[in-house]
Order: sequence, then structure tokens, then C-alpha cells
Amino acid sequence: MNQLLIIAVDGLVFASWLFLVSVGLSLIYGVLRILNIAHGSLFAVGAYAGASLVVAYSAAGLWPPGALGVLLVGALAAGLVAGPLIERGIVRWTYGREPVMQLLVTFSVFLILEDLTKLVWGVSPYYAYQPYQLLGQVRIGGIDYPAYSFLVLLVAALVGAGLWWFVRRTRFGRVVVAVIHDPEISVAMGVNLSRVYVTTFALGSVLAALGGAFTAPMISVVPGIGVEVIVLAFAVVVVGGLGSLEGAAVGALLIGLVRAAAVHLLPVLELFTIYLVMAAVLLVRPLGLFGRVEARRI
Amino acid sequence: MSLAHTCFYHGPVRLQGGRRLRRRDSIAVGCLYPLTGRAARYGHDSIVGAEMAAEEVNASGGVLGRELRLLFADDRSDPTYAVKVAQRYVLEDRVDFLMGVVSSAVALAVTQVSRHFAVVFVGTDHASARLTLEAFQPYYFRVTNNTMQSMRAGVLYLARRPWRRFFYIGPDYEYGHRQWQDFREYLTRVVPDAQVLGAVWPKLFERDYRPFLRAVLEAKPEVLVHGFWGGDTIAFLEQAAEVGLFQQVQVVSFDAGGNYEVFEALGDRVPAGLILSARHHNNFPLTEANRRFVEGFWRRARRYPSYTAHGAYVGVHFIARAVERAGSLDADDVVRAGEGLVLPTPRDREGFCSWIRPVDHQVVQEMFIGRTQPCNELPPARFLLGDWEVIPADELLPTEDEVRRIRASAAAAPGGHAGS
Repeated sequence: MNQLLIIAVDGLVFASWLFLVSVGLSLIYGVLRILNIAHGSLFAVGAYAGASLVVAYSAAGLWPPGALGVLLVGALAAGLVAGPLIERGIVRWTYGREPVMQLLVTFSVFLILEDLTKLVWGVSPYYAYQPYQLLGQVRIGGIDYPAYSFLVLLVAALVGAGLWWFVRRTRFGRVVVAVIHDPEISVAMGVNLSRVYVTTFALGSVLAALGGAFTAPMISVVPGIGVEVIVLAFAVVVVGGLGSLEGAAVGALLIGLVRAAAVHLLPVLELFTIYLVMAAVLLVRPLGLFGRVEARRI
Repeated sequence: MSLAHTCFYHGPVRLQGGRRLRRRDSIAVGCLYPLTGRAARYGHDSIVGAEMAAEEVNASGGVLGRELRLLFADDRSDPTYAVKVAQRYVLEDRVDFLMGVVSSAVALAVTQVSRHFAVVFVGTDHASARLTLEAFQPYYFRVTNNTMQSMRAGVLYLARRPWRRFFYIGPDYEYGHRQWQDFREYLTRVVPDAQVLGAVWPKLFERDYRPFLRAVLEAKPEVLVHGFWGGDTIAFLEQAAEVGLFQQVQVVSFDAGGNYEVFEALGDRVPAGLILSARHHNNFPLTEANRRFVEGFWRRARRYPSYTAHGAYVGVHFIARAVERAGSLDADDVVRAGEGLVLPTPRDREGFCSWIRPVDHQVVQEMFIGRTQPCNELPPARFLLGDWEVIPADELLPTEDEVRRIRASAAAAPGGHAGS
């Protein structure tokens, strides 16, 4: 019983992190129909921005809980600067081209950003543990959990709810839904497509950076952390169905729980579980759990 | 030479002609070390150690009248990339030796390049016993202890204590698995009533060890053997302290866990009473040679060395001694000279001298195991190992018969090609 509880909590914590790093990827794909490989490096940029700001903030000896706000600021700044720059500067030239070309272009952006982060932040690790220590421990089922894990869960829940509200309840969100369903008709109805694209790309970038910034206090931020993220995020999004927000949530939950179960019950399979889930889902539903079959337009 | 050719052609390839074009007044050593990422500190310390040794050798007139020349490149801890670097060293730089490599996975790839081109590869500080056993090839030498030596030493240390319930956590690749295999095999031989409760496998450079730690706590072992190194050790210890692991379980690590940079990074957050070892210790043995090495490193780098500095230092001295003894640069002569070579190192206690065993080209050394305790002698570390126990060298390596048996069964296994 206790083991089940531990698996459930571990799985939920991991799932919330997965959702945070993958939902932006799914959103961008849904609207722009581009698989943004650079998502991983936007995660890394967010992690570096958050970590370096927290280090500076803590060194200045300011009010400790403010460090959490600093993480948020770091993520927003990183996403809002990098997102529009990448979309307007590079990605928009690939709209309407074949998917291979788009993949190659975002992959090259990924490589460029990987090296840029090394140039800006160096190759030594950053430790931004202050927000993490600040929150202390929570005891569940006789085992201590860092309260920070639950903060990440809260952030993921807020992001999920916020996105749902944005898509269903705001005017701009409904325009985004219209573009997802049919870009051509949307343009005919007077939708400014470039504005929707750049805003969505910026939003997706902020989400990636947010994932990075809130991960930073749990890890040492080193070059290369973006690579792992893009692989995981891609797996989650494929399981859930490309372009589906609900899919990202369910995919994250599924992978998170299965992985946590593997750590406790079958440790040698831990690395493999993610791909196992992905393969199993794709066998049954080739478009992912929430993927929709689309009629090909000629 | 194509990559495919390199992989599938069996038997050494002799480079014709080109070698004569190289500058003959120097001996070139192509070094591969991780210079970026979590393992970067190891690479940078290795460079300093290797340069110290090369300077000593060259100051005393070089080897056979030639100067030792070191080349360095980042192996990115990536086997595929490292193979390309090693091939470039051999084909373009025409090096006489390959040296280095911290990751065992990378070393297993580089040793194939060494075998293929018949260029001697001096291994420093990668530890999987596979390199000198199943995947052994005659042009490979290792001048630092391997996982079998450190794990057997650990078993002998633990056998004298009352603990019987063991659990393992280590990185999910060659090195982590090999440590556990070496430990478990010897444990069941030496301590027949020991219980092995299980093992968990976070990947190399894992960011979050907490789920794995919870699995450990749930199993309630008396001893947790950890097999991490470098930045992974630091992240693991920090997260283990958070979940209160050290109050419930005796944590031990015999291969890389007691390396200096762990103490340097954690300062006074090191838990007291951990049982650890490493390939070299800055504060043991307190011989003149060791003190000179540690101080020499500090004068150069303004920090104290992690053990990889010692490995690279010894690696360069091995090359100098082997070439001197061989009297030539021919790889086969050097191999013959390296077998049985007496190799004094800073880590040798009075009355003991390291040497290279002919059967597996592995350095024979004593192991030293200590417990963490407060010590301010080598700042910024606030804790170091003390309360030392010395495990004699001759109990730590497999006998020559065992070596041959392990190789034979590996060669017979499907896909096995040990020594080929």
C-alpha cells in the first residue's frame, strides 16, 4: 500500500514536470504545424536565465521567497525575447515548406542555441538551490518529499488551467482554435495569421523556459540539459497526440506513472519505459491518444 | 580510411610511410579527456597532471633523447565522437600513444581504435574491469586501479563488519553495472550469508535521484553501495541528505566516491562516517612523493587535485619508462617493455611499488579505504577521509587462471570477441 502511494506521488511529480516541458511543444505544433526541435534549448535558456538570476538575487541577500518570483521573471524574459526572435527571424521562412526542411531548420536553431548558451553562461555548472531549500520538506507515507516538487506540480496545474482558460474563454484563444482547424478560412475571415503565429510561438517558448527555470533549482544547470528534454517532450507529445493540449497532460501522466512504477518494481527497465509506453500507444493509436485524423487537402 | 573499414577489418593495420613524415625529435601522445559537462573537472585536472609529468620527463633530458609532446582534445564523454578524435590523432597527428579517457564506455570504443591501428593506448581513470578482461587487446595498458580491485577491496573491508543486507545504486551504463557485478560476485564468495536486496539504475548525469532513493529506503538495507563519480556523486549526496538517507543506511563507495572534488564541492555538507575510497588520495599515504605531487599540482592550478590528475601523471611516466625500457618507439617493443614494468607512483606506501601485470596489462596496487571526518588541511574541503585501512594488492586481482577463464567464456559467448 505504502509502495503504491510512493509510486503515485513520484509519478505525479514527474508527470507534472513532463507536462510543463512538453505542452509548449504541442501548442506550437498545433498552430504552426512545425515540430520545434529548438524547444529543448529554449528549456535550457530558461534554466540558465532562472539559475543565474537566482544566484545573483541570493548573493544580494534580498528577501528569500522573492527568488521564486525571480524564476518566473527569468522564464518570461527568456521566452519573450528568444521566441519572437526565432519565429520572425528564422522559422517563418519555412512555413508551407516540406516538414523535413522545417525539422532541419529548427534543429539548426537548436544547435546554435546550445552553443550560444555556452558562450553566454560558460560550461561550469550553476547551482540555484536557494528556492529549493526555502520550502523544506513534506512528509507523506513516512517518507520525506521536498516541498519544491509540489510547487512544480502547482505550476504545472496552473499552466494547464491557464491554457485551458486561454483557449476556451478568450477571444484570441478562439482565434487560435480557428487557425488550428483551418488556417485558410481563418485568413479569409480576417485573422492576422502572422500575429497568431508569433504570439503562439512566443507563448510556447515561455512555457519551455518556464519548465527550465523551475527545474533549475532541482539540478545543476550544465550544458546539454536541453537534449534530454526534447526527447522526453517529443515522447509525451507523440503519446498524447501531436498538437493536443489534453493529450500532453494525459501523455505526461501516463509516462510519469509508468516510469515511477518501473523505478520501484523493475529498476533495470527505467530508461526504457518511456519508449515502451510510446511504442504501445502508437501500435494501438498511430496518431496518439488524442490525435485526430485529418482529411488531406489538395 | 572509412569508418566501416575501421570497424570490420580484423587485425592491426600498419601505417606505412606516413609515420616517417612525423617530426622524429619528439614523442607525441594524443590525450582524450572530457573537458565539458559534468565530467569536465576530471579532464582539466588530468591535463595539469599530464603536463607536470611531461615537464619532469623533458627536464631530465626526455626519452631516448626525444621530447615528450602532449596533445589534448575533448572527448565529450561520447564514444562515437571520441572514436573520431582518436582516429584523427592516429591518422593525421601520427601520435605514438593514445592516453586518457575517463568514461569506461568511451574507453571501450577507443581501445578498438588502438587495437586496429596497433597504437598503444594508456588508460587512466576509466575503471570498468572489462577493458583488461573480456575486451582486452595487447596494445592496451591501464595505470589506475579497475572496478574489480576497488570492489574486492570494499568487500574485504565490509566482511570484517556486522552488516549483511546490501543494496546498490549506480549509473546505468558500463561502469555502473560493472562495479555491481564485481562487488556482488566477490561478496557472495567472501561473505556467503550476505543478502543482496536489489539495485536501482539512474542514468548517467541523472538530474533527480529522489525516486530512486525512495526505492532504496523502502528496501531497508544496512549498506547502500553507490557507484557514482564526479558531479553525479555530488548531486546524489545532496539529494540523499535531503531524504535523510544517512541516518538510516551506511553509505559506502569504493571506486570513485572518495574523490577530492566531492569534498571540495560539498564543504561542510559532507555527511560524517561515509566509507569511501578513490584511486588516489591527497592526504594518504603521507609520503614525500605524494606530498610533492599534491603540492606541485597546487602550485600550478591553485586548487588541489582530484584523482584523475594522479592517473594522467602516472600515465605519462608509464610511457616514458616503457619507451626507455623498450629502447624504441615500435608499438610491439613498447608492449613487451610495458609488461612487468615497475612503475613507482605517488600513491605507493613506503615499501610497496606499483607494477604492470603481464597477463592483463593492469597496474597492481594496494587500496586504501577511509571514513569521512572533519579536516581543514586541504581547503576548501572541510571533510576528508581518515581512519584508513590498507587492503593488500595481491588479494584484489583475479588470478591468471581466472583471467584466462573469463576471457575464454567471453569469447565463446554470442557476439563476444574478447582479445580478437
